[in-house]
Amino acid sequence: MNTDRTILVIDDDIDLVEIIRMTLENEGYRVIDAQTGQRGIATAKAENPDLILLDVMMGTVDEGFQVAYELRGDAATRDIPILMLTAVTDQTGFGFDPDKDQQFLPVDEFLEKPVSPRKLIDLVRKHLPAKA
Amino acid sequence: MDKENDLRDESASHFVSAASLRRRLEWFDKLRWVAVVCVVAATLVADRILPGSLPWRGLATSAGVLAALNVIYTVRNHRVPPRNLRVELRHVKLQMVGDLFLLTVMLNQSGGIENPLLFMYLIHVVIASLLFKGREIFQIAWLAIFLLTGDVAGEHFGLLPHHHLLSASPATHHLPFILLTLGTFWLVLLFTAYIGASIMRHNRAIKDELVQRQRELVAADKAKLDFFRFVTHEIKSPVATATSAVQAARELGGRALPAKVDDLLERAAGRLSLAIEMIKDLADFTRGGDLRRAEPVEVDLNVLIARAVGSQQDEAARKDLRVDMKLPSVQQRLVCHVGMLEKIILNLVSNAVRYSEPGGRVEVVLDPAPDAYVLKVADQGIGIAPQDQDKVFDEFYRTRRAQDMSNLGTGLGLPIVKKFTEALGGTVALESQPGRGSVFTVTLPRTGAAAAPDHTREAS
Repeated sequence: MNTDRTILVIDDDIDLVEIIRMTLENEGYRVIDAQTGQRGIATAKAENPDLILLDVMMGTVDEGFQVAYELRGDAATRDIPILMLTAVTDQTGFGFDPDKDQQFLPVDEFLEKPVSPRKLIDLVRKHLPAKA
Repeated sequence: MDKENDLRDESASHFVSAASLRRRLEWFDKLRWVAVVCVVAATLVADRILPGSLPWRGLATSAGVLAALNVIYTVRNHRVPPRNLRVELRHVKLQMVGDLFLLTVMLNQSGGIENPLLFMYLIHVVIASLLFKGREIFQIAWLAIFLLTGDVAGEHFGLLPHHHLLSASPATHHLPFILLTLGTFWLVLLFTAYIGASIMRHNRAIKDELVQRQRELVAADKAKLDFFRFVTHEIKSPVATATSAVQAARELGGRALPAKVDDLLERAAGRLSLAIEMIKDLADFTRGGDLRRAEPVEVDLNVLIARAVGSQQDEAARKDLRVDMKLPSVQQRLVCHVGMLEKIILNLVSNAVRYSEPGGRVEVVLDPAPDAYVLKVADQGIGIAPQDQDKVFDEFYRTRRAQDMSNLGTGLGLPIVKKFTEALGGTVALESQPGRGSVFTVTLPRTGAAAAPDHTREAS
């Protein structure tokens, strides 16, 4: 199955992290987590996950964005796909248009919470790089 | 900003602002030209009827002085921008004092107390009572009284020349007439000043109260929106997490879940989705100001409409509805706050689908008129009774029929449509018959949709 694929969840909502963990572990993924942006970056570098789920708003309104920029700016983590989760879509004024905003946002997908387990699994599958 | 400052600091107890006072001053300039022309004309006519009775040279000089002063006033009013109400008021006062002096000189040159021109003093007192406050009004009234009385006394005691207007009997020597006229004059002027002052004091009190109430309303509205914003931000996260938990429970449990448990979880998921929808609507409703701050971008209106209709196709199919789109065959590009426009269209289309009976038809028509885009969304659904047609645009209002029909819906969909449309400079109209269906018509001006007026700035 997918046991050799590791997914890093960076989110300060412990309940949500556990829900995502159960959902993804049920699909055979290994799930690790970090509750803050800085710990998330450190974990990403240490563990080299195959995909990152990142919450936009942790300590500050745009901590998630800062984390995404840092991950994209570091050669070690640059190529890891990032799915960004947000509770509110009004961070930039109106809903993100993935066709338009992707070139500006350093993430691969932008998801508004709540994301259904089905959709989450589908998107994780879609963005996981093919096995080497 | 200037307007606000006026409201707060200067005219808080005045009825005029520096700018509005200036416009009046400009009118006074025009009236003064009329006065100059009238004096010259009256002198010429009087000289015809009563040759030699009036000192036309003196009158011409007075008219000339008035004209010269008026040139100075006019130039000043055009050159110097109105900044400070107090400075403007001082100018009005100076001009008024000058006018009263000249009026007295001219009155003296044209018969003194015999001349009905003395009514002109009254006009000055009335204007003073409109523009000034309390003591200043009485200053003008007393000045008028002092000037006229001085002139009449001077003429009576022979200190000032008298020019007969009534050639038959020199009224200036008729003491009872003088006293009666002066007495009446004093009374009328002081009474006018008193009435004017008290009426305007009352009006100013009303105005101050209105300004105060307005300020309180703006503050209350802002507090409400801040509260909504807090609620949406703070409540959405836990509700979203709970939704995910319930969905994950059903997913993970799969067939192993007892039917009753799954049924309960499904109900919970449904209600949580409804809560999420409500929170999203509330967020949309409160973030109009944020949407406006986003940069307007160019979009094809056809695409926005097609996308909104597309998003409702599943629901429409489930209810066996036919959704027809009639869109112009060429792109309808406009520069606009897309977030708001998208929400307007989506809310109208999803409402039409939601409140249609199965098997019905929804029609979405875009008519590109020369000066406006006219979007019509028509359904054959439950309709809205006449007495509800205004209320459906009120926050949280849902008609009885709508509540019976669907427990989805927050009562914020149409208020959002109205608020956003107006923010884009447009209008919403509704035609509806209960049981027959509704037609919502949104008209957006071609110009102005991008540079929308800042209606909701106080909300931000």
